[in-house]
Amino acid sequence: MTNDRIWILLARQLSGEASLTELAELEQLKNSSPNTQKSVEEVGDWWSHNEVPDTEFLEATYLAHLERMKDKGFYLNEGETKLEQEIPAEDNPLSANDFRNNFKVKRIVVSAIVVATLALSWFFLKPEKNPTVVAASSKPAEVSTRNGTRSKILLPDGTNVWLNSGSKITYNKDIDTNVVREVYLTGEAFFDVVKNPKRPFIIHTANMDVKVLGTRFNVKAYAEDKTSETSLIKGSVEVYLKNDPGRKYLLKPNQKLVLSNNLSAQAAKAAASVALQVGTANPVEIKPLTYLGGSETDVESSWTKNLLSFEDEAFIEVAKKLERWYDVSFVFKNKTWEQQFLNGSFEKESLEQALKALQYSTGFNYKIEGKTIFIF
Amino acid sequence: MSIFQKNNSDIKISELQYQVAVYEDETAYKSLFFCLFPSLQNFAFSISRSRVLSEEIASDLLLDVWTRRKKLLEIENLKLYLFVGAKHAALRKLKQENRYSRFSLDDVEVEFISEYINPDVSAELHELQEKIAKAVKQLPPSCQLIYKLAKEDRLKYKEIAQLLDLSVKTIDHQLSIALKKISSALHYPNPKKNDC
Repeated sequence: MTNDRIWILLARQLSGEASLTELAELEQLKNSSPNTQKSVEEVGDWWSHNEVPDTEFLEATYLAHLERMKDKGFYLNEGETKLEQEIPAEDNPLSANDFRNNFKVKRIVVSAIVVATLALSWFFLKPEKNPTVVAASSKPAEVSTRNGTRSKILLPDGTNVWLNSGSKITYNKDIDTNVVREVYLTGEAFFDVVKNPKRPFIIHTANMDVKVLGTRFNVKAYAEDKTSETSLIKGSVEVYLKNDPGRKYLLKPNQKLVLSNNLSAQAAKAAASVALQVGTANPVEIKPLTYLGGSETDVESSWTKNLLSFEDEAFIEVAKKLERWYDVSFVFKNKTWEQQFLNGSFEKESLEQALKALQYSTGFNYKIEGKTIFIF
Repeated sequence: MSIFQKNNSDIKISELQYQVAVYEDETAYKSLFFCLFPSLQNFAFSISRSRVLSEEIASDLLLDVWTRRKKLLEIENLKLYLFVGAKHAALRKLKQENRYSRFSLDDVEVEFISEYINPDVSAELHELQEKIAKAVKQLPPSCQLIYKLAKEDRLKYKEIAQLLDLSVKTIDHQLSIALKKISSALHYPNPKKNDC
């Protein structure tokens, strides 16, 4: 019996079905008999040995598949799908299948209920107004933070927004019922957008618009900063530049788009054509996120965890972060410090402690007078 | 270790599913095809026992993924959904040809990806693979299929149970038998006929 038990546990472990207790039990059983341990490990090795996919074979199969699609009027690899036709029911392998039909019926019922509920609630709640008046009369809501403070907001659609210091976000109160969920941002915010494929979520900033369906990402768009950034943690987002709206940039997780602010329309167009090439002079760049010393915390969104962090950033840029974080202002008496690259991560440190730490690693001098810090 | 492997492949599929649904991303669609076609084709073959039909079924299912991409996010578990689709499509073809009136797990014929994709592995590994393949072939068809779905297609117990109309307990049991047989094949040159 114990002999069979070990194989049940091994199968569960290999399939990722085993609980922690079962894993421990498996270890114990293995240790109690060196012979079994050996065979168990051999089978385990075999299981995790994965066949390398035969890409040549798959490429050929895929080409054949594309040909079949073409025959049915669907063109891939040629830009857009030319014919938006549905496959006739007869040819569709899924049309006669109960699983799908059940699924579909349930879906229709659910959407009907949702529509009915929405219609009824509108009818009872807003009987005296027509829809356009409702939209026009709802004043936008505005949340802003002063320097030195941060806040977290829950939007009516369930989306969580962390607002960094010196930032402002504006949205319509009926954001939850609009076809497109739209917010306007100056400064920096981290969004955890509730997924809704039917109602995209758009963040408008001075230089770029970010469109998403549901995902986690950070948008930094301070007017005084040298660059604006969109950093993606999870999911995917589209970024449109105000100066070059025809082009969309797709970000993958752990990527960020960095845009030089104050671009002329022409510069942006030129930038777009070379955007993905490697180089530092490009006004638009897509870069990987920076992680704090091998940890799982990325610099870009670390502020939502109450961490003020920067890696290899010029003092002049770091100063802007410190100004917002601590509500102070910096004056560089000695301009050479402006381009000094700094690394740091602060959690509960006071301004003075932070300055001391930075001073220790670089050697600048500082003097605090009220809310002004002089660097020399 | 294996827990992470499995999650990774599932995350990958849902990530690709999202890319196709939201961005009509053709590269993501191609990756999805690469991930799923061999598994779906193998599975459709197990039931239909026809290479031509099974390729058609897998291709049709993936064609549907593209043409219905706008509704793709409504499908919670795309892999399982397509496996179930493959099962129904294969059964339907069988019915059309009047070959079988009822789906029986004892009639399946299981093909393994590992059987025909290993041109340049080491001699040692090749020998090992042959030994194991031999042992697996001696398992009853339903046991082979469960083993194949768990190992090569990385389906969860619950998913296999749902797909084959079996209980999770059966999957648990059958898989342990498959592993035990494989293990004994590694130690004895001629595995005995089994009673799985």
